[in-house]
Amino acid sequence: MNRKILWVFLALASLAGADGQWVLASSTLVYHVSHPLHQSEGVSHAAKGKGVCQGGQCNFLIAVPVKSFESGDTNRDLHMVQVTHGAQFPMVSVRVSLPEAALTSASIHCDVEIQFGGQTAKYKNVAFQAVTKGTETRITGSIPATLSDFKIEPPSLLSIPVKNDMPVRVDMTWRPM
Amino acid sequence: MLRIAAFIGLAVSVACSLVAQTQAAGTLTGKLTDPSGAVVANTTVTATNIDNGQTRTATTGADGGYQFTMLPPGNYRVRFEAAGFKTLEIASATIGATQAVVDGKLEPGVSTPSLGDLGFTPDQSQGSAQDQARLDKRSRMLKTHQRLGLITTAPLVATLFLANGASGHKSTASGRDLHAILGGVTAGMYLTTASFAIFAPKIAGTPTRGPIRVHKALAWIHGPGMILTPILGSLALAQKDRGEKVHGIASAHGAVAGVTAAAYGAAMLSVIIKF
Repeated sequence: MNRKILWVFLALASLAGADGQWVLASSTLVYHVSHPLHQSEGVSHAAKGKGVCQGGQCNFLIAVPVKSFESGDTNRDLHMVQVTHGAQFPMVSVRVSLPEAALTSASIHCDVEIQFGGQTAKYKNVAFQAVTKGTETRITGSIPATLSDFKIEPPSLLSIPVKNDMPVRVDMTWRPM
Repeated sequence: MLRIAAFIGLAVSVACSLVAQTQAAGTLTGKLTDPSGAVVANTTVTATNIDNGQTRTATTGADGGYQFTMLPPGNYRVRFEAAGFKTLEIASATIGATQAVVDGKLEPGVSTPSLGDLGFTPDQSQGSAQDQARLDKRSRMLKTHQRLGLITTAPLVATLFLANGASGHKSTASGRDLHAILGGVTAGMYLTTASFAIFAPKIAGTPTRGPIRVHKALAWIHGPGMILTPILGSLALAQKDRGEKVHGIASAHGAVAGVTAAAYGAAMLSVIIKF
């Protein structure tokens, strides 16, 4: 009888252990825009994120201030904030929902919902790579965003607009809370 | 007596203004329930104005109800987030001058972290329509600056090209006049171009970094040069018209014009070429 109680207790304990929360320890997000005259990248390390796992399902939220992206030219950065309505909608938020089991595999495919510039875009089956070292999991990948997804008028230099594609490279390290 | 009448008039106008503002603002209320119909308390409700990004948050009470008062009219996205329930989002709710009701039924599930959980400061997460309008104005003016700057290149190059017909032994009066007219057009267009950059709204707390720094530094060369060149040019023109050889300070006209044009070209290249 005592052994049965012990087994039930252990099973409950393992279930409780499966649920948990994750926090974004560090991140690098890079957007890329392409102009006939040159290519530009904006980098931000200011993202914050949190994940909640319950009953085998995890929901993640990552958010980053629009104006935290730096391209090395403050004029270009201000122009990007303007065209993306970054003063009016200062945060980019990314929501990801996936089964908890997916977190342990080296390749993660998930749907990504992004709110940016007052618009919401959904990307299906985006591929990420995951590498776990100790308690930390590093996730890398690229989100195939475009300017038109968020109704952003392409910024221009010398009256020539940038291309519509604006892929965002993601490099995030998560650890359990 | 006149003072009392003025005071009453002022008080009435302030009261009317306050009433008008109160009438213009709307109220959003609602109730949160679960699938069994039981009320859900302690739910975070976020109303985001889709038009200007302004957000307001409230929490449901013990009766599952929430209320936003004094909401400016507009279209709002309403989000409900509660522990143990899936996040519910109403894509658009119209708030007018009257009371709008948006109820929500929450489905059990994994709760989604909210922006409030991430620890961003209100300064970082709150949008400002005024700041956006300022940025929009700045961008419009700088776009005009760029376009006019490109257009100004044409008379600038033409003026330089026609400089041969305006100086030296083979110069003619018509050649000098054409050169002077084109130079005047260039200077006028240049000053117009510059004014769009000078008077564009400044964004406080933004340091100048990158190629734009070189672009701005070069303006300290081509700016004074673009003022000095026509002055020296008119002196040189007057000397030529009197049949004199260009002499004195006027003889620097060509050199100043050359340096000015070179700095202008470099300023354009500084924003085109990545380095």
